[in-house]
Amino acid sequence: MNLEYPTALQSLILHLKRLPGIGSRSAERMSLWLLQQPVGTLAALSEVLVQVEQEIKPCASCGFFATREGCAICQAPDRDPRLLCIVEQPTDILPIERTGAFRGHYHALGGRLAPLDNVGPEDLRIGELMDRIRTGEFEEVVLATGADVAGEATANYLAEILRSSNVRLTRLAQGMPVGGGLDTADSLTLHRAFQHRRNLSHDA
Amino acid sequence: MLTHLKLRHLRCFEVAACQPGNGTTVFLGENAQGKTSILEAVCVAMRLQSPRTANLADLIRFGEKEFAVSATLAGQELLFGYSGNRRRMTIDSETMRSSGDYLRQSALVVWMSNDDMALVRGGSEGRRRFLDFLGSQLHPPYRPALRDYERALRARNFLLKRDAYPRWDQIDAYTRVLAEHAAILTRLRRELVARLEPFAAEVQAEVSGRAEPLGLVYEAAGGDRLEEVLAGFRDEESRKRGTAAGPHRDDFGITLHGMAASRFASEGQQRTTALALKIGQARLFLAESRRPPLLLLDDIFGELDPGRRNALMAALPVHSQKLITTTHLDWLRDHLQPESVYEVTRGMVAPGT
Repeated sequence: MNLEYPTALQSLILHLKRLPGIGSRSAERMSLWLLQQPVGTLAALSEVLVQVEQEIKPCASCGFFATREGCAICQAPDRDPRLLCIVEQPTDILPIERTGAFRGHYHALGGRLAPLDNVGPEDLRIGELMDRIRTGEFEEVVLATGADVAGEATANYLAEILRSSNVRLTRLAQGMPVGGGLDTADSLTLHRAFQHRRNLSHDA
Repeated sequence: MLTHLKLRHLRCFEVAACQPGNGTTVFLGENAQGKTSILEAVCVAMRLQSPRTANLADLIRFGEKEFAVSATLAGQELLFGYSGNRRRMTIDSETMRSSGDYLRQSALVVWMSNDDMALVRGGSEGRRRFLDFLGSQLHPPYRPALRDYERALRARNFLLKRDAYPRWDQIDAYTRVLAEHAAILTRLRRELVARLEPFAAEVQAEVSGRAEPLGLVYEAAGGDRLEEVLAGFRDEESRKRGTAAGPHRDDFGITLHGMAASRFASEGQQRTTALALKIGQARLFLAESRRPPLLLLDDIFGELDPGRRNALMAALPVHSQKLITTTHLDWLRDHLQPESVYEVTRGMVAPGT
């Protein structure tokens, strides 16, 4: 009979293996490392895991990570209620926040259109989005999905279904990389930079 | 100049290495010994694509998990490794983040083979692949535009097929993306065909030895204004469940004396025209990049009569490095003295005599 790890350890390896980017070998190494930690470390870790599961829920409105106290974005009193920024994932929100360039509200779709991966509009939080726009006081909706094929298609789809609602639709600009010369921009970026060039002659 | 080539686990080769000379290098061997795979490896190392297959996984040796090819070009070592889901591109051991960065430092390549006749006689797909191979080498925007176009096209065609009644709201989300990349491709292809034409015509006259005016006419399938064009194809797309226009339907016509070469030219003329397109490509590359392209000639001489053979050898760019595969060497010695000869036997490459 082949000797195997005890069942509990095997089960830990199996759980870790399901994490993104982790194969069987890495899962095994992580499990053995965990086993060698001082007593109490794993208890603390499992406590944190349970806490995260119980306390962190996606905000029913914007999709960002909310706690028992609620959503830090939706409940903030100082945000502009007229601005809504649509992103693909809740993780896209923090990079935008860090820029400080946007102080409105967000809506995370939870993905993007990808018919070949069987992701259609019904899998994204588009119904919730329509409800928010219908009942909210938004005046401008910024489409901040990615600039690749799937992100563009998602933005086009949303633009079409939001056309009838009474909001201004904008799309994040694409163009010259900041701090770079012309030679560092790839050609499609440059192409779009020309299409979306700004006027400097009067109202710049 | 390509000075060293090394392949590992590629097609029939376990490992193989050679040092091409600066003029002509000949790979000599019977059929099915691996000669073509050596040229293919050079093409992949230079251009990250194979003229024989769209799927690089085909190049992985049976039973292995990945292949690698390294080539020393003007003193720089280019290395490309591929394992089905991962690719590694380094230049002098420095990892290249994008294929664009890699390709910029590589050489331009012209591939000639017996199959070139299909450019004249075969379907439009071969001609589109030819344009794609030229375009991706000459214009950095070509490759990303083609890749994104194909991505959008796959999604759009899938949506057209998926539902009992096409969901146009979803389909049109892709139409606009498709149209943006189609416009870029169409413009680049139109330019490409127009610039290739004089070079190909020049070669046609030289090789045939008489006035045989060759014309190339780009036939765009609506790529300039694809959104508008597709709007007019709603019914057809609903019936046929596929994208009805766009660069994936492009073609270019080849004429001799103003008449379609595929139908009205003799077999000999067609053969000359196929050569003219490829040598024209070499001359275009030389003119546009000011660097002689690397010529990979896969067993093209067997089918040519001595007259065309001579004319072909005379028409090839003089300063281009040439890698040639052939089954016998005798006739070649009449035309040129190869710097190096390698014998290829059952997946082994050895210096020949």
